[in-house]
Amino acid sequence: MFKKTRRSRLILVLCVSAVLLSALGISPALAQKRFEGVEITVFTQTPPFIAKPVQMFRADWERETGGKVRLITAPWGELYPKMFSSFALGSQNYDIIIFPAAYLADFASNEFLAPLDTFIAADTRIDWLDILPVYREKISTYAGTIYAVTMDGDSHMFYYRRDAIENPEHQAKFKAEYGYDLAPPKTWAEVRDVAEFFNGWDWDGDGRIEYGVVEGMRKGAQGFWTFFSRSAAYTSIPGQAQGLFFDPETMKPLINDPGHVQALEDWIEIMEFGVPGMINMDNGEVRSVYAAGEAALAIDWGDVGVISDTDPGSTVKGKVGYSILPGTTRAWDYVEESWVDFPEVNHAPFLAFGGWIAGIDAKSDNVEAAYDFLSFLGSPENSYICVTTPETGFNPFRKSHFEKLAGWYGYGFVNPEDYLGAIQATIAHSNVQPDIRIPGAFRYFEALDAQLAMALAGAKTAKQALDDAAKEWDTITEDLGIEEQLKNYRASLGLPIE
Amino acid sequence: MPMTNILSSFRGKKAGRAFILPAVIILLLLTIFPFLFSLFLSFGKVSFLGGLQIHFAGLKNWLRLFNDERFYNALSNTVLIAVIAVAIEYVLGLGLVLLLNRGVKGSTFFRVLFFLPMMLTPIAVGYMWRMMFNPTRGPINHVLPLLGLPAVGWLTEPKIVLYSIILTDIWQWTPFMILILFAGLQSIPPALLEAAKVDGASGWRLFKEIIFPLLIPASIAAILLRTIEVLKIVDKIYILTGGGPGIYSESMTLFGYNLGLRAFDLAYGATIAFSLFATILVVSIIFLLMTRRSQEISLE
Repeated sequence: MFKKTRRSRLILVLCVSAVLLSALGISPALAQKRFEGVEITVFTQTPPFIAKPVQMFRADWERETGGKVRLITAPWGELYPKMFSSFALGSQNYDIIIFPAAYLADFASNEFLAPLDTFIAADTRIDWLDILPVYREKISTYAGTIYAVTMDGDSHMFYYRRDAIENPEHQAKFKAEYGYDLAPPKTWAEVRDVAEFFNGWDWDGDGRIEYGVVEGMRKGAQGFWTFFSRSAAYTSIPGQAQGLFFDPETMKPLINDPGHVQALEDWIEIMEFGVPGMINMDNGEVRSVYAAGEAALAIDWGDVGVISDTDPGSTVKGKVGYSILPGTTRAWDYVEESWVDFPEVNHAPFLAFGGWIAGIDAKSDNVEAAYDFLSFLGSPENSYICVTTPETGFNPFRKSHFEKLAGWYGYGFVNPEDYLGAIQATIAHSNVQPDIRIPGAFRYFEALDAQLAMALAGAKTAKQALDDAAKEWDTITEDLGIEEQLKNYRASLGLPIE
Repeated sequence: MPMTNILSSFRGKKAGRAFILPAVIILLLLTIFPFLFSLFLSFGKVSFLGGLQIHFAGLKNWLRLFNDERFYNALSNTVLIAVIAVAIEYVLGLGLVLLLNRGVKGSTFFRVLFFLPMMLTPIAVGYMWRMMFNPTRGPINHVLPLLGLPAVGWLTEPKIVLYSIILTDIWQWTPFMILILFAGLQSIPPALLEAAKVDGASGWRLFKEIIFPLLIPASIAAILLRTIEVLKIVDKIYILTGGGPGIYSESMTLFGYNLGLRAFDLAYGATIAFSLFATILVVSIIFLLMTRRSQEISLE
């Protein structure tokens, strides 16, 4: 009798619990943690940058799902070899990789990554349409299939010192010298003039000499991205499929056409008006030099903006203006093989690097758990925290990131509307140019990087260097297979594959 | 020989071989196999699609190497750094050893001080000198104008950059020469030096006739070890210049790293690595032959 009563009580308690859980919207089955005992391995760059978001959010996800997240990291130079060999040799070292978008073509074309369309379609948390179209449709997608979740939005933008340009004395002096009004430069020709004007004198009255411009030119670093940011407007005609890398009909390199040569000649010339030693500066140094108030103009990802306003050591807080990359008044038409003149400035902002994205090993035993973690990490709420937290390395990529300003003020920005406005203008531009996304991308980059470095060092003319780079690109394409590369290249541009 | 002795000697040999076997296997697996595999790679074309695939490509990679201007540039940069840096490190090291050996006041303190750079990692040394050489914020270019001298583009001028790298190597590795030569000097019997002094030998004759000849074995070891190390230089250059400006400071190892691991062209990377191995082997053999010959002449 006693036993029977106890069992009845137990049943009653279970029933009441089920009713209560149902009332709270949680079914008894879901109340059990859904990934209990599952361990997923995430592989990315050595902390803090890029790995920090995983460190920030893994405990929350583990608490919610019962799963475990193991984080493995490696320095930048070891990411590609380790990721590629893990996939290619089928060793399944990692469930999730957070990687540069430039690798996507290599991984997706070899079917190393799990397609994510079905997961995303069924996911109510990720709010996929909140991600800006260029990232969700181009950067995270390959040949019409989504292979990665966007984690970071990356594009080059242009920085100028507002206090220098808005100074009435400087404006009068500039007009007398150059014959037009001093304003934030709209073209690369104006960049040259403004850089020349502000080079080599103490224009901010701090007792030290300042310089015109600072750009990352260092060999073996990010210099080739700066070059493409400068050449994009000279080679990209609105409405044309591509003018920056290859002819999408023949896979012939376009990097030695007159548009690119002009851009390289501009780049060589600008060294004269730059911070001394600019040829050896990577973008890390560009950021510190600009935040130290040494230059009037700069090209960088969103980081110069972040460091200028939020770093305690910055001497330029609130003094920096932001804009879309300058453009040109003419561009080379590779189809017609002639220059095209524009009545207005032709802008072609460049999505240099393309940002960090996260994919899942197609052979992973834990695809579902891995996707769940990515969805959690990349959700609107958590990604907003990431893009407004120092040292995550993530920049805004969702509509909602641009709409909520409170986090940006809290981050330390003085004029977040201007900063976000410049990024939005870049990403949403109709002539925006994505980075190269084909297998062997870094082989092409390496070959170009060495030739650009030789031109900058005066060992070759711009034309010689780019001709030599084009020859090397041809050799690489032949080595990887022209037909295959053409197919991959067209897929990366969203063009039909014949 | 009695049968039992033969058996025990046989057992002894067998047992010896059995004990050595694990070491041999480990050596084969960890050293010889990767070495031969890399050599094989240099004659192949690597593809990872559908698992690791290596296709025989004959001499293609080697022909590419011998027609590559970057290879000759990297080779000449590397040899130039090695020759100048090691020569200066040796002369400086020898001079400092002789000074320390004379019982200069505070020589123990200086000995410890001299060894400090050698204890730093090359990466840290690279960053430190990159700051020192900074054109606008570095202390060197800050001091030069105060002395009436122009600022110098230490890491950005094609004609200067290699010498800046050599300077950092000398700063870090002269202590290694001091260490080896000091040990060599300590091994010279004091009675020999005392006897020479009693016979009226001057300081210079003492050095020329006794100290230097007796230091030759230590000198050979120090110079050879340093030469081999400098021929493989990569870390400091990677941090200081990345091989720039242009390719004016690209070393063989950095060239191999860029092509093999950055561009992920493994077969060509292996070819570059083997060309460096061949260079080191040739330089070492020539150096050993030369020093053996000079020792023979001095004995004659």
